[in-house]
Amino acid sequence: MDKSTQTEIFFGPNHPGVPGNYGIIYEFEGDTVTSAKANAGHLHRGFEKLMEERLWIKNTALVPRICVEEPDINEMVYAMGFEAIGEIEVPRRADYIRSIILELARIQGHIFSIGGNAAGIGQYTVMHWGTLTRDYILDIFEEITGARVYHIYIRPGGVRQDIEDETFDKILDLMDELENERFPDLEKTLFENPNAQKRWQGKAVITKEEAIEMGATGPVLRANGVPHDLRKMMPYAAYDAVEFEVPTYENGDAWDRIKIARDDMLQSIKIIRQLIQDIPDGPVQTDLGNGLKYKIPKGDAYVKIESKRGEYGYYMVSDGSLKPYRVHVRGASTPLGLYGVREFLPGTRIADVPVWAKSLGICPPEFDR
Amino acid sequence: MRNEKELLQLINAHFNPEAMEIQREQNLSVKLKKEELIQALSFLKSHSYRHLSTISCVDWLEEEEFELVYHLFSYDDLVNISLKTRIAREPGVFQTAKEIWPVAEFYERDIHEFFGVEFKGNDNLEEMILENWQHLPPMRKDFDTREFVNDQYEWRDYNGQKHTD
Amino acid sequence: MNNNFVKGSWQEILDWAQNKSINMLHYCTGCGAIELPPTMTSRYDMSRFGIGPAATPRQADLLLVTGYLSTKTLRRLIYTYEQMQAPKFVVGFGSCTINGGMYWDSYNTIKQLDKYLPVEMYIAGCMPRPEAILDGLLKLKKMINNGEADGYKRYQDNLEFYHQNQEAVLGEVQRTQ
Repeated sequence: MDKSTQTEIFFGPNHPGVPGNYGIIYEFEGDTVTSAKANAGHLHRGFEKLMEERLWIKNTALVPRICVEEPDINEMVYAMGFEAIGEIEVPRRADYIRSIILELARIQGHIFSIGGNAAGIGQYTVMHWGTLTRDYILDIFEEITGARVYHIYIRPGGVRQDIEDETFDKILDLMDELENERFPDLEKTLFENPNAQKRWQGKAVITKEEAIEMGATGPVLRANGVPHDLRKMMPYAAYDAVEFEVPTYENGDAWDRIKIARDDMLQSIKIIRQLIQDIPDGPVQTDLGNGLKYKIPKGDAYVKIESKRGEYGYYMVSDGSLKPYRVHVRGASTPLGLYGVREFLPGTRIADVPVWAKSLGICPPEFDR
Repeated sequence: MRNEKELLQLINAHFNPEAMEIQREQNLSVKLKKEELIQALSFLKSHSYRHLSTISCVDWLEEEEFELVYHLFSYDDLVNISLKTRIAREPGVFQTAKEIWPVAEFYERDIHEFFGVEFKGNDNLEEMILENWQHLPPMRKDFDTREFVNDQYEWRDYNGQKHTD
Repeated sequence: MNNNFVKGSWQEILDWAQNKSINMLHYCTGCGAIELPPTMTSRYDMSRFGIGPAATPRQADLLLVTGYLSTKTLRRLIYTYEQMQAPKFVVGFGSCTINGGMYWDSYNTIKQLDKYLPVEMYIAGCMPRPEAILDGLLKLKKMINNGEADGYKRYQDNLEFYHQNQEAVLGEVQRTQ
């Protein structure tokens, strides 16, 4: 290829088309990308080193800040790792409350990212609607935990405090409003719009073999017909007591992944209604003694859960002392953001690069840590 | 679909593991010698373990060893296997796994940047997350982050009371 | 160099006009940026006060540093600040810009923002609510109206001090026109 016709360009880190503070450096010829690589590391804070310097309970305040859009998954995986090494049982009511919080976090994450995807193709109405609907769910979080974004609610042994019945009624009212008023508006404006369909159909295709080789999970695999969901394959919390479906599609492009986001939200509403109806009574926290002296025996564990983007895991090692020895964070979009950019981005047109980056769910704070 | 005991028997039949245990339901941990590890990865990949979650590294300073852990998962058996091995801290060299899984190149690049482990066969080990870093690899246990911060940065002065730690 | 300036009636009109229309550069530098979309959209509407987003540094007045800064981002932020045209303002957002915040012992983040850039005011919180952001921005508008927001003049007067601090952390920094 003639070097005089290729130009190199910096896409990001300050750009409305990238999801977060992350850059892609690519060369293009004409209108098509010829080679690309990731420019990561703008958000690196050294979490894994900071976690080794703090006591076990102090890390529950540090951990939600690793993934900004969906902070509760970090608290859940940290608590699960602690309980796995220490062989601690959690009361059943706490399992149900943890599942309700995780499903509410999934709904607010999906609706915000659908808004972000729509802003990437120029539909700003849906972006405003997405931000507003997410705010209603943040009001519920404020009533349960006291904070809008970083909750520090799920901790080793259970949850921090109980939920009252009036709050459960408010959650059910909000689910009714979402299903009967907000989502039909979204259907008509975005999903039945032929312009949106044309911008998303056939773009950013990742096939089933490429996804499994790379280690991508979640919506990327489900858009290729593989019905894999860690809530059914390795059940945790209260997911073994509810019934739900795992929707799949066939083509593996951006349009299928955005439809999967909408279908996942409807399944989450179904799950929340079942959980609230069947929740048992009882305590919400096992007594582990003085918080400043938490200790677990020597050992290690790799625990993982299903976030809205795929498999999210922690590898935790303990040496029997008051502080963790090693915590390694595996974000759901690590292979996509670092390896997928180099292998699968060349060949797309420049106007489709934001569609590629946003529909795959690349979240930079997860792999920068 | 194999269960956990059959898997341990399968691995025991073909390799010489130093330690094996069933940690929890659907979770196994196997410790191998470093000469057998790359063959074990290919063997398991051909027996339906096609998903590599990540590669982790742990620094055991007193025993003067690095421990490398490979986490594999199978969509048929629904079991998670953590393969562990230990290498000497000096010189900290191991073989690459990128012939088996091309994405392992980036996990190894991350371990090289933060621990200083070199992977033979992987020639893309330049820095990715830090920029112009001139000191010890930061995740090693002999790098003291609080001392580094006290030397490099100044704390805010609150009416004569400085931050102490 | 003299830091005072004569306040004639022409300068008062310019300050009044400046405070009624502020263009904010939409650069999400840290985790505090997740509370900016609720502030900009219809629930806590920011544009009724005359504040709106701008896409490029050359067209912006206000640089909102939302949260912690790693050294990689600090270099790009200094390039961005020097590309903006006077009069320009910097607002520190969250407790990480005041004294390091939750990452006070991290080897990769900076601890005090006003050693590297001239800051007009800070908004405290981790992270600040949209109502707190609006409160802070209204105070900034009053400061601009009274002529007290002169960070860009402090940067020009004390260039040696700022450049020395920046190079102590980053090594060499490219300076262009």
